[in-house]
Amino acid sequence: MSERPSLWWIEWRLSRGSLVRESIGRFLFFCLLGFALLSLLLSGGVDRFLADRYAITAVLRAEVPSAEAEGLARKVAALPPVRSAAYRDPEAAWKEFLRAYPGLDPLRGAVGNPMPGYIEIRIRPDRLTGADVDLVASALRSVSHVELVLSGEEWLPRLLRAGRLASWACWGIFGAFLAGFFVVARLQERARAVALAGDFAFLAERGVPAGRLALLRAASSAVSGFLLAAAGTAAGGGALFLSLRTFPLLEGVIGPPSDLLLPRTVAAAALFSLGAALLSAAASLLGWRTARSVRK
Amino acid sequence: MIEGFRLGVFSRGTTLWDGLDFAFGDAAAWFIAGPPSSGKTLLLAILRGERRPDAGDVVVSGESLYRGNASLARAWRASCGHVPEQAAADARLTVGDLFRRSALAGGGVRESERKSRAARLLEMVGLRGASEWRVAELSISERVRACLAAELLRGPKVLFCDGVVAGAGVPCREMLWGLFRALAREGNTVVLAERTIPERWALAAGDAEPVGPFRVYRLPAKGGPG
Repeated sequence: MSERPSLWWIEWRLSRGSLVRESIGRFLFFCLLGFALLSLLLSGGVDRFLADRYAITAVLRAEVPSAEAEGLARKVAALPPVRSAAYRDPEAAWKEFLRAYPGLDPLRGAVGNPMPGYIEIRIRPDRLTGADVDLVASALRSVSHVELVLSGEEWLPRLLRAGRLASWACWGIFGAFLAGFFVVARLQERARAVALAGDFAFLAERGVPAGRLALLRAASSAVSGFLLAAAGTAAGGGALFLSLRTFPLLEGVIGPPSDLLLPRTVAAAALFSLGAALLSAAASLLGWRTARSVRK
Repeated sequence: MIEGFRLGVFSRGTTLWDGLDFAFGDAAAWFIAGPPSSGKTLLLAILRGERRPDAGDVVVSGESLYRGNASLARAWRASCGHVPEQAAADARLTVGDLFRRSALAGGGVRESERKSRAARLLEMVGLRGASEWRVAELSISERVRACLAAELLRGPKVLFCDGVVAGAGVPCREMLWGLFRALAREGNTVVLAERTIPERWALAAGDAEPVGPFRVYRLPAKGGPG
């Protein structure tokens, strides 16, 4: 540690209690925000929830051999919007039917297995759009082995619109909490600037420019904001990781824990920390300005 | 050299004083005596570059404080020390904090150096071991001496003291007499503003120059107080 005193140092020295309280509060808040941010990033709002429940079903003709059906499933799985494509042979389809409608075994005795084989296609959460669903459905319809494609075209646009609105609402709530952080941080910075007014006046009287004081405070605030946000996001990410491991059901809504370490997730967390640093610096400058205008 | 030309202040709807000329030479201790409410604190603020006079100008080493470059005025303020009449009474502050922020104002003094110099200065003003004492719990005399010691930490070229002699009390006069003249001998300028000058100091200083409501003395560099 440098032996030369700095403004950050003197703020720490003169109002250690309030700085510690503020820092703990901000860290906990960033933990919550980090948890929410990573959850939103991984889930894409409600995209993953919808994608987990939505599937396109391609009903195959009765005479299609299993080998060809599996080959077709592999080709469908290679389409960019498709997350997975699984072939169910007529026997598996019959078992599923019986699980859904028990007591209908006699149907098979009369005419043999009435269920055709089918391919269940699931779409990637980030590609669950009307255009991509149409792309996959059109590709399937052009295949002669496919008798029928069930993609919910009648209700899908409404569902996707509702999903989009829900995602915006989720991000809006997140933004509101971020704005709340900014307001609270500004009030804290202002209160500290008022409390340390005597010290700042002392320095200003002795030739330390007020602008330099404000910039130094803002820089300190930015650095602490970045570190607290980074630490809070890391802690929130850790909590999310543990939650996903403990409750695998959450994976269907949020995503797999491994996605937390994807470069784009890490980059988003770094951007969030930078944003928090900027907000902290802005809160410091605005708090300083308000405190000065109150004193005048 | 600090020069005030035709200085005037209009306060509370009336002219407090106008057309005053001052000249404070370097490496000397100056004593400004004036009655209550005569504007001594205002005069010091004007000379420090803190408060623009309503008339006239202050020139320091040939540069105008109020009509020249703002950075020059800032540099001047940075080179000054100031012990106010009403010293800080912030409940949070300790005597050590006074030294800490004084060091900060001076652009940074090394921690170890600050501590050793603070201890020496506190001992010099009769406050040995007072570093952890709260300023709010000090007497007026102790507070004034603590503030004076904290200002001296930066080694200001010019020291403005407002009511320090009266605030420090009679038992500290000998110490202050020696201190101010020692500072002057080392090439610093000390400007004191008080309601009255101690009788023995006045005898030692000789004739005062009357300037408006004030009487300006130059304390002798050598010899005892009367």
